[in-house]
Amino acid sequence: MKKIKQKFNIKRRNFLTGTASLAGMAATASVLPINIANANHTEGSKGLPGFISWKDRDALIVHSDKGIETHRSAIGESLITPNRNIYIRNNMPTMSDAQIGNRGDWKVSIEGVKNPKTFTLSQLKKLGHTTMATILQCSGNGRGFFEHKVRGSQWETGAAACVLWTGVPMKVVVDACGGINGSAVYMTSAGVDHKPTGLDPKKAMVERSVPKKVFKDAMLAWEMNGVPLPNAHGGPLRMVTPGYFGINNVKHLGKVAFTTEQSSVKYMKSSYRISPIGKKGSQYPSCWEMPVKSWITRPTDETGTVKSGKVQIVGVAMGGTRNVRSVKVSIDGGQSWKRAKFIGPNLGKYAWRQFAFEATLSSGTYNIASLASNGRDKQPELRMENRRGYAHNGWKDHSVNITVV
Amino acid sequence: MKIVKFLLMILFLFSINIKNLLADNAKMVKGLEIFNEIAGCAGCHTLKAAGSEANIGPNLDTVSLTEESVKDMVTHGLGVMPAYGEGILTKEEIDIVSFYVANSVGK
Repeated sequence: MKKIKQKFNIKRRNFLTGTASLAGMAATASVLPINIANANHTEGSKGLPGFISWKDRDALIVHSDKGIETHRSAIGESLITPNRNIYIRNNMPTMSDAQIGNRGDWKVSIEGVKNPKTFTLSQLKKLGHTTMATILQCSGNGRGFFEHKVRGSQWETGAAACVLWTGVPMKVVVDACGGINGSAVYMTSAGVDHKPTGLDPKKAMVERSVPKKVFKDAMLAWEMNGVPLPNAHGGPLRMVTPGYFGINNVKHLGKVAFTTEQSSVKYMKSSYRISPIGKKGSQYPSCWEMPVKSWITRPTDETGTVKSGKVQIVGVAMGGTRNVRSVKVSIDGGQSWKRAKFIGPNLGKYAWRQFAFEATLSSGTYNIASLASNGRDKQPELRMENRRGYAHNGWKDHSVNITVV
Repeated sequence: MKIVKFLLMILFLFSINIKNLLADNAKMVKGLEIFNEIAGCAGCHTLKAAGSEANIGPNLDTVSLTEESVKDMVTHGLGVMPAYGEGILTKEEIDIVSFYVANSVGK
Protein backbone atom coordinates (compact mmCIF):
# COMPACT_ATOMS: atom_id res chain seq x y z
CA MET A 1 0.00 0.00 0.00
CA LYS A 2 1.26 3.42 -0.86
CA LYS A 3 2.30 5.35 2.23
CA ILE A 4 0.32 8.53 2.64
CA LYS A 5 2.48 11.11 4.31
CA GLN A 6 1.36 14.49 3.09
CA LYS A 7 0.87 17.18 5.68
CA PHE A 8 -2.26 19.15 6.37
CA ASN A 9 -2.43 22.30 8.41
CA ILE A 10 -3.15 21.30 11.95
CA LYS A 11 -5.42 23.90 13.40
CA ARG A 12 -8.37 22.31 15.12
CA ARG A 13 -8.90 21.16 18.59
CA ASN A 14 -11.95 23.29 19.05
CA PHE A 15 -14.18 20.80 20.78
CA LEU A 16 -11.73 20.29 23.58
CA THR A 17 -11.17 23.95 24.24
CA GLY A 18 -13.46 26.10 26.28
CA THR A 19 -14.12 28.62 23.57
CA ALA A 20 -15.64 26.75 20.66
CA SER A 21 -18.54 24.35 20.49
CA LEU A 22 -18.97 21.22 18.47
CA ALA A 23 -21.61 22.90 16.39
CA GLY A 24 -19.24 25.77 15.86
CA MET A 25 -16.61 23.42 14.58
CA ALA A 26 -18.95 21.91 12.06
CA ALA A 27 -20.55 25.10 10.90
CA THR A 28 -17.75 27.60 10.80
CA ALA A 29 -14.08 27.81 10.17
CA SER A 30 -13.53 28.89 13.75
CA VAL A 31 -9.83 28.37 14.20
CA LEU A 32 -7.81 28.41 17.37
CA PRO A 33 -4.06 28.40 17.26
CA ILE A 34 -2.85 25.02 18.31
CA ASN A 35 -0.61 24.93 21.29
CA ILE A 36 1.99 22.24 20.78
CA ALA A 37 2.34 22.00 24.49
CA ASN A 38 5.66 20.44 25.29
CA ALA A 39 8.31 19.02 23.09
CA ASN A 40 9.38 16.77 25.94
CA HIS A 41 7.74 13.64 24.63
CA THR A 42 10.20 12.91 21.88
CA GLU A 43 11.97 9.63 22.23
CA GLY A 44 15.25 9.77 24.10
CA SER A 45 18.31 7.70 23.38
CA LYS A 46 17.14 4.88 25.67
CA GLY A 47 13.75 4.48 24.00
CA LEU A 48 11.98 6.33 26.78
CA PRO A 49 10.22 9.68 26.33
CA GLY A 50 12.62 12.58 26.88
CA PHE A 51 10.92 13.75 30.07
CA ILE A 52 11.82 10.48 31.82
CA SER A 53 15.07 9.70 30.08
CA TRP A 54 16.61 9.43 33.58
CA LYS A 55 14.63 6.24 34.32
CA ASP A 56 15.90 2.69 34.02
CA ARG A 57 14.71 1.39 30.65
CA ASP A 58 15.37 -2.22 31.62
CA ALA A 59 13.00 -1.94 34.59
CA LEU A 60 10.12 -0.64 32.49
CA ILE A 61 7.47 -1.77 30.02
CA VAL A 62 6.44 1.01 27.64
CA HIS A 63 2.71 0.88 26.81
CA SER A 64 2.85 4.41 25.41
CA ASP A 65 4.70 7.62 26.22
CA LYS A 66 1.95 8.30 28.80
CA GLY A 67 1.75 4.82 30.30
CA ILE A 68 4.93 3.10 31.43
CA GLU A 69 4.88 0.11 33.74
CA THR A 70 7.44 -1.35 36.14
CA HIS A 71 8.43 -4.93 35.44
CA ARG A 72 7.05 -7.30 38.05
CA SER A 73 10.54 -8.31 39.05
CA ALA A 74 11.71 -4.67 39.36
CA ILE A 75 9.29 -3.55 42.07
CA GLY A 76 9.80 -5.10 45.44
CA GLU A 77 13.38 -6.01 46.16
CA SER A 78 14.07 -3.21 48.62
CA LEU A 79 10.66 -2.14 49.96
CA ILE A 80 10.90 1.41 48.63
CA THR A 81 10.68 1.49 44.86
CA PRO A 82 13.55 3.52 43.40
CA ASN A 83 12.44 6.54 41.38
CA ARG A 84 14.15 5.23 38.27
CA ASN A 85 11.85 2.16 38.35
CA ILE A 86 8.54 3.86 39.21
CA TYR A 87 5.69 3.72 36.71
CA ILE A 88 4.31 6.68 34.78
CA ARG A 89 0.63 7.37 34.18
CA ASN A 90 -0.14 10.85 32.96
CA ASN A 91 -3.52 12.26 32.02
CA MET A 92 -1.95 15.53 30.93
CA PRO A 93 1.52 16.26 29.58
CA THR A 94 4.16 16.55 32.28
CA MET A 95 4.89 20.20 32.93
CA SER A 96 8.31 21.41 31.85
CA ASP A 97 10.79 23.39 33.96
CA ALA A 98 9.94 26.49 31.93
CA GLN A 99 6.22 26.08 32.64
CA ILE A 100 6.86 25.49 36.34
CA GLY A 101 9.30 28.36 36.79
CA ASN A 102 11.03 28.89 40.12
CA ARG A 103 9.91 25.93 42.24
CA GLY A 104 9.94 27.92 45.47
CA ASP A 105 7.44 30.35 43.97
CA TRP A 106 4.94 27.61 43.03
CA LYS A 107 1.54 28.55 44.43
CA VAL A 108 -1.23 26.49 45.97
CA SER A 109 -4.46 28.02 47.23
CA ILE A 110 -6.37 26.56 50.17
CA GLU A 111 -10.13 27.16 50.10
CA GLY A 112 -13.18 26.02 52.02
CA VAL A 113 -11.38 26.88 55.25
CA LYS A 114 -12.01 29.63 57.82
CA ASN A 115 -9.19 31.82 56.42
CA PRO A 116 -8.51 30.95 52.75
CA LYS A 117 -4.89 31.48 51.81
CA THR A 118 -2.45 31.02 49.01
CA PHE A 119 0.93 29.59 49.95
CA THR A 120 4.11 29.45 47.92
CA LEU A 121 6.13 26.27 48.16
CA SER A 122 8.76 28.18 50.15
CA GLN A 123 6.09 29.21 52.67
CA LEU A 124 4.76 25.65 52.92
CA LYS A 125 8.23 24.42 53.81
CA LYS A 126 8.21 26.74 56.82
CA LEU A 127 4.83 25.45 58.03
CA GLY A 128 5.82 21.89 58.81
CA HIS A 129 7.76 18.90 57.66
CA THR A 130 7.37 15.16 57.80
CA THR A 131 8.10 11.98 55.83
CA MET A 132 5.80 9.03 55.27
CA ALA A 133 5.60 5.98 53.05
CA THR A 134 2.56 5.28 50.89
CA ILE A 135 1.68 3.09 47.98
CA LEU A 136 1.07 4.82 44.72
CA GLN A 137 -1.08 2.60 42.55
CA CYS A 138 -2.98 3.36 39.35
CA SER A 139 -6.69 2.50 39.53
CA GLY A 140 -6.22 0.31 36.47
CA ASN A 141 -3.33 -1.74 37.83
CA GLY A 142 -4.25 -5.32 36.85
CA ARG A 143 -6.36 -4.23 33.88
CA GLY A 144 -4.30 -6.44 31.60
CA PHE A 145 -5.87 -9.51 33.25
CA PHE A 146 -9.43 -8.60 32.26
CA GLU A 147 -10.78 -10.42 29.26
CA HIS A 148 -13.34 -7.98 27.87
CA LYS A 149 -10.89 -5.85 25.88
CA VAL A 150 -10.77 -2.89 28.25
CA ARG A 151 -9.55 0.40 26.79
CA GLY A 152 -6.46 1.87 28.45
CA SER A 153 -2.99 0.69 29.32
CA GLN A 154 -2.87 -3.05 29.89
CA TRP A 155 -1.16 -2.92 33.28
CA GLU A 156 -0.48 -6.18 35.06
CA THR A 157 1.27 -5.55 38.40
CA GLY A 158 3.62 -2.66 37.63
CA ALA A 159 1.44 0.42 37.91
CA ALA A 160 2.33 0.52 41.58
CA ALA A 161 5.19 1.64 43.81
CA CYS A 162 6.00 2.15 47.46
CA VAL A 163 7.26 5.70 47.91
CA LEU A 164 8.73 7.84 50.71
CA TRP A 165 7.19 11.30 50.51
CA THR A 166 8.43 14.39 52.27
CA GLY A 167 6.22 17.42 52.69
CA VAL A 168 3.83 19.16 55.04
CA PRO A 169 0.88 17.32 56.59
CA MET A 170 -2.42 18.64 55.25
CA LYS A 171 -3.64 18.91 58.83
CA VAL A 172 -0.92 21.50 59.55
CA VAL A 173 -1.97 23.49 56.49
CA VAL A 174 -5.61 23.35 57.56
CA ASP A 175 -4.71 24.54 61.06
CA ALA A 176 -2.76 27.44 59.55
CA CYS A 177 -5.96 28.41 57.75
CA GLY A 178 -8.13 28.37 60.87
CA GLY A 179 -9.76 24.98 60.27
CA ILE A 180 -12.22 23.56 57.74
CA ASN A 181 -15.57 25.17 57.03
CA GLY A 182 -18.28 23.30 58.86
CA SER A 183 -20.32 22.29 55.82
CA ALA A 184 -17.49 20.61 53.89
CA VAL A 185 -17.91 16.96 52.90
CA TYR A 186 -15.01 16.50 50.50
CA MET A 187 -11.39 17.50 50.09
CA THR A 188 -11.04 18.51 46.45
CA SER A 189 -7.57 18.83 44.91
CA ALA A 190 -6.89 20.39 41.52
CA GLY A 191 -3.86 20.19 39.27
CA VAL A 192 -2.81 22.91 36.87
CA ASP A 193 -1.12 20.72 34.26
CA HIS A 194 -4.03 21.25 31.84
CA LYS A 195 -3.36 24.99 31.68
CA PRO A 196 -0.48 24.98 29.17
CA THR A 197 -2.59 22.85 26.82
CA GLY A 198 -5.36 25.43 26.50
CA LEU A 199 -7.97 22.69 26.85
CA ASP A 200 -11.36 23.20 28.49
CA PRO A 201 -10.80 22.69 32.25
CA LYS A 202 -14.12 20.86 32.59
CA LYS A 203 -12.77 18.17 30.27
CA ALA A 204 -9.06 18.26 31.00
CA MET A 205 -8.44 19.44 34.55
CA VAL A 206 -7.48 16.70 36.97
CA GLU A 207 -9.56 17.71 39.97
CA ARG A 208 -10.41 14.97 42.43
CA SER A 209 -12.66 14.94 45.46
CA VAL A 210 -12.13 12.47 48.27
CA PRO A 211 -14.01 12.20 51.59
CA LYS A 212 -13.01 15.02 53.93
CA LYS A 213 -11.58 12.60 56.50
CA VAL A 214 -8.66 11.86 54.16
CA PHE A 215 -7.09 15.23 55.05
CA LYS A 216 -6.06 13.89 58.46
CA ASP A 217 -3.37 11.67 56.92
CA ALA A 218 -2.84 13.56 53.65
CA MET A 219 0.27 15.49 52.73
CA LEU A 220 1.42 18.15 50.32
CA ALA A 221 4.65 16.56 49.09
CA TRP A 222 7.66 18.19 47.50
CA GLU A 223 10.14 15.32 47.80
CA MET A 224 9.95 11.77 46.53
CA ASN A 225 12.41 9.21 47.84
CA GLY A 226 14.84 11.89 48.94
CA VAL A 227 14.95 14.08 45.85
CA PRO A 228 12.83 17.06 44.79
CA LEU A 229 9.57 15.71 43.36
CA PRO A 230 10.36 15.09 39.67
CA ASN A 231 8.17 16.93 37.15
CA ALA A 232 7.15 13.56 35.70
CA HIS A 233 5.61 12.65 39.06
CA GLY A 234 3.81 15.95 39.57
CA GLY A 235 6.56 18.27 40.77
CA PRO A 236 7.10 20.61 42.37
CA LEU A 237 4.09 19.87 44.59
CA ARG A 238 1.67 16.98 44.76
CA MET A 239 -1.24 15.91 46.94
CA VAL A 240 -0.69 12.56 48.65
CA THR A 241 -3.88 10.75 49.72
CA PRO A 242 -2.69 7.65 51.59
CA GLY A 243 -4.59 4.46 50.85
CA TYR A 244 -6.38 6.02 47.89
CA PHE A 245 -5.76 5.22 44.23
CA GLY A 246 -3.13 7.18 42.31
CA ILE A 247 -5.51 9.54 40.49
CA ASN A 248 -6.46 11.16 43.83
CA ASN A 249 -2.80 12.01 44.47
CA VAL A 250 -3.12 15.06 42.24
CA LYS A 251 0.03 16.19 40.43
CA HIS A 252 1.19 19.76 39.82
CA LEU A 253 -1.11 20.83 42.65
CA GLY A 254 -2.63 24.32 42.38
CA LYS A 255 -5.61 24.22 44.73
CA VAL A 256 -7.05 22.29 47.65
CA ALA A 257 -10.64 23.13 48.56
CA PHE A 258 -12.94 21.70 51.20
CA THR A 259 -16.25 21.44 49.37
CA THR A 260 -19.82 20.36 49.90
CA GLU A 261 -20.05 18.75 46.46
CA GLN A 262 -17.74 16.55 44.43
CA SER A 263 -15.92 18.26 41.57
CA SER A 264 -17.92 18.44 38.35
CA VAL A 265 -14.96 17.94 35.97
CA LYS A 266 -14.90 14.89 33.73
CA TYR A 267 -12.08 13.22 35.65
CA MET A 268 -14.30 13.18 38.73
CA LYS A 269 -17.81 12.97 37.38
CA SER A 270 -17.55 10.28 34.73
CA SER A 271 -13.99 8.97 34.55
CA TYR A 272 -12.63 6.61 37.20
CA ARG A 273 -16.06 5.20 38.05
CA ILE A 274 -16.31 1.50 38.82
CA SER A 275 -19.33 0.45 36.78
CA PRO A 276 -20.62 -2.86 35.43
CA ILE A 277 -19.48 -3.83 31.94
CA GLY A 278 -21.61 -1.93 29.40
CA LYS A 279 -22.69 0.75 31.88
CA LYS A 280 -21.25 4.10 32.92
CA GLY A 281 -22.17 7.15 34.96
CA SER A 282 -21.51 9.20 38.06
CA GLN A 283 -23.87 7.05 40.14
CA TYR A 284 -21.18 4.35 40.33
CA PRO A 285 -18.40 4.38 42.96
CA SER A 286 -15.33 6.47 42.27
CA CYS A 287 -11.83 5.00 42.44
CA TRP A 288 -11.07 5.94 46.02
CA GLU A 289 -9.86 3.44 48.63
CA MET A 290 -7.52 0.73 47.41
CA PRO A 291 -8.43 -2.83 48.36
CA VAL A 292 -6.17 -5.36 50.08
CA LYS A 293 -3.80 -6.90 47.55
CA SER A 294 -0.54 -8.79 47.09
CA TRP A 295 1.53 -10.28 44.36
CA ILE A 296 4.70 -12.29 43.98
CA THR A 297 7.71 -10.47 42.56
CA ARG A 298 10.20 -13.36 42.49
CA PRO A 299 10.37 -15.91 41.02
CA THR A 300 8.14 -15.09 38.07
CA ASP A 301 7.97 -16.07 34.44
CA GLU A 302 10.12 -12.96 33.82
CA THR A 303 12.99 -14.36 35.86
CA GLY A 304 13.36 -17.59 33.91
CA THR A 305 13.50 -21.17 35.09
CA VAL A 306 14.16 -21.91 38.75
CA LYS A 307 16.73 -24.38 40.05
CA SER A 308 15.18 -27.21 42.08
CA GLY A 309 15.67 -27.27 45.84
CA LYS A 310 14.94 -24.52 48.31
CA VAL A 311 13.30 -21.54 46.64
CA GLN A 312 12.61 -18.15 48.22
CA ILE A 313 9.23 -16.88 47.05
CA VAL A 314 9.00 -13.13 47.74
CA GLY A 315 6.46 -10.45 47.05
CA VAL A 316 4.66 -7.37 48.28
CA ALA A 317 1.39 -7.04 50.20
CA MET A 318 -0.81 -4.06 51.02
CA GLY A 319 -3.79 -3.57 53.27
CA GLY A 320 -5.35 -0.59 51.46
CA THR A 321 -6.35 1.82 54.22
CA ARG A 322 -5.65 -0.71 56.99
CA ASN A 323 -2.55 -2.60 58.11
CA VAL A 324 -1.92 -5.74 56.12
CA ARG A 325 -2.15 -8.53 58.68
CA SER A 326 -1.16 -11.74 56.90
CA VAL A 327 -0.13 -13.25 53.59
CA LYS A 328 -0.53 -16.85 52.58
CA VAL A 329 1.25 -18.50 49.68
CA SER A 330 0.11 -21.43 47.56
CA ILE A 331 2.38 -23.43 45.29
CA ASP A 332 -0.43 -25.55 43.88
CA GLY A 333 -2.71 -23.03 42.25
CA GLY A 334 -4.70 -22.24 45.37
CA GLN A 335 -5.56 -25.76 46.52
CA SER A 336 -3.56 -25.35 49.74
CA TRP A 337 -2.10 -22.31 51.49
CA LYS A 338 0.69 -21.70 54.00
CA ARG A 339 1.49 -18.54 55.88
CA ALA A 340 4.40 -16.41 54.62
CA LYS A 341 6.66 -14.28 56.82
CA PHE A 342 6.78 -10.53 56.65
CA ILE A 343 10.33 -9.32 56.12
CA GLY A 344 11.95 -5.90 56.28
CA PRO A 345 10.68 -2.85 58.14
CA ASN A 346 7.07 -1.89 58.72
CA LEU A 347 6.70 1.65 57.41
CA GLY A 348 3.07 2.01 58.43
CA LYS A 349 -0.31 0.91 57.20
CA TYR A 350 -0.11 2.87 53.94
CA ALA A 351 3.16 1.23 52.84
CA TRP A 352 3.39 -2.28 51.57
CA ARG A 353 5.09 -5.12 53.41
CA GLN A 354 7.48 -7.50 51.77
CA PHE A 355 6.86 -11.15 52.43
CA ALA A 356 8.91 -14.30 51.94
CA PHE A 357 8.02 -17.96 51.81
CA GLU A 358 10.55 -20.77 51.56
CA ALA A 359 9.49 -23.78 49.54
CA THR A 360 11.35 -26.89 48.49
CA LEU A 361 10.49 -27.52 44.88
CA SER A 362 11.41 -30.44 42.65
CA SER A 363 11.46 -30.16 38.88
CA GLY A 364 8.11 -29.44 37.29
CA THR A 365 5.73 -26.54 36.68
CA TYR A 366 4.03 -24.68 39.49
CA ASN A 367 1.30 -22.09 39.80
CA ILE A 368 2.26 -19.85 42.73
CA ALA A 369 -0.23 -17.47 44.31
CA SER A 370 -0.36 -15.10 47.28
CA LEU A 371 -3.38 -14.09 49.34
CA ALA A 372 -3.28 -11.11 51.70
CA SER A 373 -5.66 -10.10 54.48
CA ASN A 374 -6.03 -6.86 56.44
CA GLY A 375 -8.04 -8.50 59.19
CA ARG A 376 -11.31 -7.28 57.78
CA ASP A 377 -11.01 -8.14 54.08
CA LYS A 378 -8.97 -10.66 52.17
CA GLN A 379 -8.23 -10.92 48.51
CA PRO A 380 -10.95 -12.65 46.51
CA GLU A 381 -10.06 -15.46 44.16
CA LEU A 382 -11.54 -13.74 41.13
CA ARG A 383 -11.49 -10.19 39.81
CA MET A 384 -14.48 -7.92 40.23
CA GLU A 385 -15.62 -7.56 36.62
CA ASN A 386 -16.11 -3.92 35.69
CA ARG A 387 -16.22 -1.80 32.57
CA ARG A 388 -12.87 -0.06 32.84
CA GLY A 389 -10.87 -2.77 34.55
CA TYR A 390 -10.35 -0.96 37.85
CA ALA A 391 -9.37 -2.13 41.34
CA HIS A 392 -8.34 -5.67 40.47
CA ASN A 393 -7.18 -7.57 43.55
CA GLY A 394 -8.16 -11.16 42.71
CA TRP A 395 -5.37 -13.58 43.63
CA LYS A 396 -5.85 -16.01 40.77
CA ASP A 397 -5.01 -13.61 37.94
CA HIS A 398 -2.02 -12.33 39.91
CA SER A 399 -0.54 -15.79 40.36
CA VAL A 400 2.61 -16.78 38.45
CA ASN A 401 3.57 -19.91 36.58
CA ILE A 402 7.14 -21.04 37.05
CA THR A 403 9.20 -23.90 35.74
CA VAL A 404 11.61 -25.66 38.10
CA VAL A 405 14.46 -27.67 36.57
CA MET B 1 -9.46 -23.19 -23.77
CA LYS B 2 -8.27 -24.07 -20.30
CA ILE B 3 -5.41 -21.61 -20.67
CA VAL B 4 -7.81 -18.84 -21.66
CA LYS B 5 -9.98 -19.59 -18.63
CA PHE B 6 -6.89 -19.58 -16.44
CA LEU B 7 -5.71 -16.26 -17.82
CA LEU B 8 -9.16 -14.75 -17.41
CA MET B 9 -9.19 -15.90 -13.80
CA ILE B 10 -5.76 -14.35 -13.19
CA LEU B 11 -6.95 -11.10 -14.81
CA PHE B 12 -10.10 -11.14 -12.65
CA LEU B 13 -8.14 -11.66 -9.44
CA PHE B 14 -5.63 -9.02 -10.46
CA SER B 15 -8.41 -6.52 -11.12
CA ILE B 16 -9.86 -7.20 -7.66
CA ASN B 17 -6.47 -6.56 -6.11
CA ILE B 18 -6.06 -3.34 -8.06
CA LYS B 19 -9.52 -2.27 -6.97
CA ASN B 20 -8.71 -3.05 -3.34
CA LEU B 21 -5.43 -1.22 -3.54
CA LEU B 22 -7.12 1.83 -5.01
CA ALA B 23 -9.78 1.67 -2.31
CA ASP B 24 -7.13 1.36 0.39
CA ASN B 25 -5.21 4.33 -0.97
CA ALA B 26 -8.38 6.38 -1.07
CA LYS B 27 -9.03 5.44 2.55
CA MET B 28 -5.51 6.50 3.50
CA VAL B 29 -5.97 9.90 1.85
CA LYS B 30 -9.38 10.42 3.44
CA GLY B 31 -8.10 9.05 6.77
CA LEU B 32 -5.32 11.61 6.83
CA GLU B 33 -7.84 14.38 6.20
CA ILE B 34 -10.05 13.13 9.03
CA PHE B 35 -7.03 12.79 11.32
CA ASN B 36 -5.69 16.27 10.68
CA GLU B 37 -8.74 18.30 9.72
CA ILE B 38 -12.16 16.81 10.34
CA ALA B 39 -11.66 15.14 13.72
CA GLY B 40 -8.56 17.07 14.70
CA CYS B 41 -6.75 14.02 16.14
CA ALA B 42 -3.52 15.80 15.21
CA GLY B 43 -4.34 18.47 17.78
CA CYS B 44 -3.62 16.02 20.59
CA HIS B 45 -1.53 13.15 19.20
CA THR B 46 1.85 12.74 17.63
CA LEU B 47 1.80 10.63 14.47
CA LYS B 48 4.89 11.08 12.34
CA ALA B 49 3.16 9.92 9.15
CA ALA B 50 0.58 12.70 9.53
CA GLY B 51 3.17 15.31 10.47
CA SER B 52 1.55 15.86 13.85
CA GLU B 53 3.60 16.55 16.97
CA ALA B 54 1.06 17.29 19.71
CA ASN B 55 1.45 15.93 23.20
CA ILE B 56 -1.92 15.80 24.92
CA GLY B 57 -2.74 12.16 24.28
CA PRO B 58 -0.30 9.29 23.77
CA ASN B 59 2.20 9.48 20.94
CA LEU B 60 0.54 7.02 18.56
CA ASP B 61 3.89 5.92 17.19
CA THR B 62 4.69 4.50 20.65
CA VAL B 63 1.44 2.60 21.13
CA SER B 64 0.77 -0.98 20.17
CA LEU B 65 -2.59 -0.89 18.43
CA THR B 66 -4.81 -2.59 15.88
CA GLU B 67 -7.48 -1.23 13.57
CA GLU B 68 -10.10 -2.66 15.93
CA SER B 69 -8.54 -1.13 19.05
CA VAL B 70 -8.31 2.28 17.37
CA LYS B 71 -11.94 2.00 16.31
CA ASP B 72 -12.97 1.16 19.85
CA MET B 73 -11.00 4.05 21.32
CA VAL B 74 -12.22 6.58 18.73
CA THR B 75 -15.83 5.48 19.12
CA HIS B 76 -15.95 5.50 22.92
CA GLY B 77 -13.17 7.91 23.92
CA LEU B 78 -11.08 7.74 27.07
CA GLY B 79 -10.29 10.36 29.69
CA VAL B 80 -10.00 13.72 27.98
CA MET B 81 -10.47 12.10 24.57
CA PRO B 82 -14.07 12.54 23.39
CA ALA B 83 -16.29 9.68 22.27
CA TYR B 84 -16.28 10.35 18.54
CA GLY B 85 -19.03 7.79 18.05
CA GLU B 86 -21.44 10.00 19.96
CA GLY B 87 -22.27 12.45 17.21
CA ILE B 88 -18.84 13.78 16.24
CA LEU B 89 -17.86 11.41 13.42
CA THR B 90 -19.95 9.06 11.30
CA LYS B 91 -19.35 5.32 11.56
CA GLU B 92 -17.78 5.40 8.10
CA GLU B 93 -15.42 8.20 9.12
CA ILE B 94 -14.41 6.25 12.23
CA ASP B 95 -13.74 3.17 10.10
CA ILE B 96 -11.59 5.19 7.70
CA VAL B 97 -9.56 7.08 10.30
CA SER B 98 -8.99 3.84 12.24
CA PHE B 99 -7.74 2.16 9.05
CA TYR B 100 -5.49 5.15 8.46
CA VAL B 101 -4.00 5.22 11.97
CA ALA B 102 -3.49 1.46 12.17
CA ASN B 103 -1.61 1.55 8.86
CA SER B 104 0.41 4.68 9.65
CA VAL B 105 1.88 4.12 13.11
CA GLY B 106 5.63 3.91 13.23
CA LYS B 107 6.02 4.97 9.59
